Amino acid sequence: MKVKVYGADLTAWVAAACMARAGNDVQIEGPQSQLEKPLHDISALRDEPGLLDQIQLQMQTGRLKRTGAQDIEADIHWLALEHNEIEKAQNIIHILAKAVPENLLIVNQCNFGVGATDELQNILSEELNQAIVYIPSNLQDGKALQGFSQPNRITIGSENNWAITTTRALIKPFLQNIEHLLLMTSREAEFTKLAITGMLAIRIGYINELANLADQMDVDIETIREGMGADPRVGNHYLSPGCGFGGLSFNQNIARFSETFEKRGKDSLLKTVISENEIQKELLFKKLWQHYRCNLTDKTVSVWGASFKPGTASIDNAPSLKLIDALLAQGVHVKVHDPEALGNLLNHYHNETNISFCNNAYDAIKDSDALLLVTEWPEYWSPDYLKMLQDMHIPLIIDGRNIFDREALEMHGFTYMGVGR
Amino acid sequence: MTVDHSPAWIALNTHADSVRDKHLTEMFAEDTQRFEKFCFSAAHCLTDFSKQRITEDTLQLLIDLAAQQQLPQRIEALFSGEKVNPSENRPALHTALRQPKELPLLVDGNDISTEIHASLERMEVLVDQIHNGQWRGYDGSPIKNVVNIGVGGSDLGPLMTCRALGQFAPEHIRDIEVHFVSSMDGSQLARILNHIDPASTLFIVSSKSFTTIDTLTNANTAREWLVDNSGLPIELISQHHFIAITASPNKAATWGIPEKNQLHFWDWTGGRYSMWSVIGMAIALQTGNENFRQFLAGAHKMDVHFRSAPLGENLPVLLAMIGIWNINFLDIHAHAVLPYDGRLEHVPAYLEQLEMESNGKSVTLQGDKLNYATCPILWGEVGPNAQHAFYQLLHQGTESVMCDFIAPAIRYQDQGEDLQAQHQLALANCLAQSRLLALGDSVLDDADNAPAHKRYRGNQPSTTIMFDTLNPESLGALIAMYEHKVYVQSVIWEINPFDQWGVELGKHVATSLLDQFTEQASSDTDCSTKGLIQYIQRQRKESNDEG
Repeated sequence: MKVKVYGADLTAWVAAACMARAGNDVQIEGPQSQLEKPLHDISALRDEPGLLDQIQLQMQTGRLKRTGAQDIEADIHWLALEHNEIEKAQNIIHILAKAVPENLLIVNQCNFGVGATDELQNILSEELNQAIVYIPSNLQDGKALQGFSQPNRITIGSENNWAITTTRALIKPFLQNIEHLLLMTSREAEFTKLAITGMLAIRIGYINELANLADQMDVDIETIREGMGADPRVGNHYLSPGCGFGGLSFNQNIARFSETFEKRGKDSLLKTVISENEIQKELLFKKLWQHYRCNLTDKTVSVWGASFKPGTASIDNAPSLKLIDALLAQGVHVKVHDPEALGNLLNHYHNETNISFCNNAYDAIKDSDALLLVTEWPEYWSPDYLKMLQDMHIPLIIDGRNIFDREALEMHGFTYMGVGR
Repeated sequence: MTVDHSPAWIALNTHADSVRDKHLTEMFAEDTQRFEKFCFSAAHCLTDFSKQRITEDTLQLLIDLAAQQQLPQRIEALFSGEKVNPSENRPALHTALRQPKELPLLVDGNDISTEIHASLERMEVLVDQIHNGQWRGYDGSPIKNVVNIGVGGSDLGPLMTCRALGQFAPEHIRDIEVHFVSSMDGSQLARILNHIDPASTLFIVSSKSFTTIDTLTNANTAREWLVDNSGLPIELISQHHFIAITASPNKAATWGIPEKNQLHFWDWTGGRYSMWSVIGMAIALQTGNENFRQFLAGAHKMDVHFRSAPLGENLPVLLAMIGIWNINFLDIHAHAVLPYDGRLEHVPAYLEQLEMESNGKSVTLQGDKLNYATCPILWGEVGPNAQHAFYQLLHQGTESVMCDFIAPAIRYQDQGEDLQAQHQLALANCLAQSRLLALGDSVLDDADNAPAHKRYRGNQPSTTIMFDTLNPESLGALIAMYEHKVYVQSVIWEINPFDQWGVELGKHVATSLLDQFTEQASSDTDCSTKGLIQYIQRQRKESNDEG
């Protein structure tokens, strides 16, 4: 099939890559500014493991092309715009409605909020089979390609039989692992999408709150967590306490869903979760501040991990940013290591002189007064303790993801602090 | 020779004989151009004096009096840093505080403009740090609550301005809640401490001398509260939860606030004229540094007008001289300040201090006792609320009262028609009240037939002060106008508006009485005070026995 993808971020590129790989003839249309960029300069591609290679491969086969706005010939139009680009979506749909008077299928993957797909449908004529279908994007940064091509669930939000059948044909190659293919109205699908994201955020918010309480009550949150997870009604997923969550789409979605409540005059649980999460991002700073009795001037502090989670170079809303800001504001010399995100971090802090970007994790801890573990990249899990002891000025480890074994570290002579333990 | 024996004063006295019995109703009937003649504008402010009991001759004679008292030279003396406060042997340079950075001002050979701006810039750095969430409390939390501890000028000005300009907080700055604590009995402080988190609370201790007992008592209680809650030593708490704003750096340091957390101003800044200095930090915290600068710019605009406009068109001069007319020639000794905008609710309290502490004097600059009236009793309230409180007295009581009505012409422009309609309702009330006070029930057709208790005699003079909208700049100009008004009156009355010796003795007597609460009441105390002390002692004893 001929598919045209509209958008410039991760969702758009992943959709384009996966559909091209499945044999479709795909065009991707981004803004002119992006069209002029070489692929490796586009951060959405660079930050996602395997994506840049896949895009280049599909372009070599000729199944994937970048295009300007004028090409509109396609069987399916796939909207993967940013949440604040609804006007752009409306413009595209107006043009398509005129150009393709019958049998026009548009797939909407954008998070415009509950009811947005219905509003876009109003531009079109349902009788003439001009239809728009909502398929929520479930991709997770770091696992985006797999999430698109082998999902275990897909939701199709539409009530138009012709549109549903055509959409099914398009997504057929991606249904091998499917456990749930859900059909509902686009409005319900939009609501569900946001409800899931909110639920996950609330779980993380709750376990963080418990961890902060555990800190003050001489219990180990890891033990508590195990106990909670053993109850099948609770389960283990999204139950790791830590120094806050980040990421672009996750944060945007819960923030927007929370706004939906507020527009109806209700303070939401989500709003509290969001604001508490911002506080949680400074947890490691607070522990350090208290340890050094409110004086961090001229200290050297190491940060391991800057991306908002392992497996991505993205630092969008990352806890590391708030932490580093807080440290710099106190006159701390910050030495940071991250296997992927240093480039993005360098861009973010290009005016700062008091921060060093280290390509080697051990370079980052040299002469350090504390190590703050922010992102649990696999390479940090079993470090060379003896080398750390030798290199650090003060053997203090504050573990924002509870990946280290307290007893082992203390046996080696480290001072150890985790989250809730 | 005191001013009341001067030719210009005598001329006014003679003139007053012909005006005193004239009702405002007659004046408006005789001259339909009063508004055009007696309305003046400058620096955002429009002042309508047409409802004052004046004629064109009155105004001219008042200007003659001002000229006779060498007002233009005295204005210059104020601005140029002459020692206009002789009892404390120093200048009063609040105008310098809002002067743009580029303009140097030499006082005793020093360019104080440089010092002033360096101090403001240091304040802005601290404000930014707090707004950015990077001032940290003892557990590392960013500051959420700031409590301004100060009294008099360290409280009333910042409080009034914060309440007036609260809506101007720019969105990008962190939400900081600013609280004010002044009373020495601790009741305000206790109320606030009950519902704020100690780790994210910062106290600003504002005291010029850093010896003010009211302020230090509150600061000590605040520090104790932090020590108790944190379990940390007092030194650490003093360093991370207190900013001192003072002209006495050593005393602040002795109390425990390190130099880096101090902001300084100078002994030539009078307390009630100090909010333009770093004393205004609470204002900058509430509204942002940029708005604080706008506030200063507005005041500077009025300064320029005051310094350069001819006396007959000079707003602060006219405001002052018409006050003199009312007080000294029409024998009116009460002055009500009536803002018709709830945001200005603290303006009356602010002006009470500004006017009464400045000009509540009865000796001349030379130390001679006066035999003419100076500052009247001044009080006020948000107009629409005052209508339900003391307007009865204004309309039908036996006292003559002069009133200042203050209101912005427009408000709520981007907040919907309902609120705009509410503002218009307030304005309609404002104009109705000043009209009724001036003209009495002559505004009605058949007032004469009403029973006596329903009659409105009118002839109460008022000034209406309006500005386009209330914003940092217009408020700055409004307040500067009143400051200069006070100065002009002091020049006419030949008194020192910049000292306040009348507030000193009470403090000393209080200190000596304090001991008597626990010991035997002293025999040389008057019987009333002694009796009251004994009553307090009895009550405490009974309470302790029960406990």
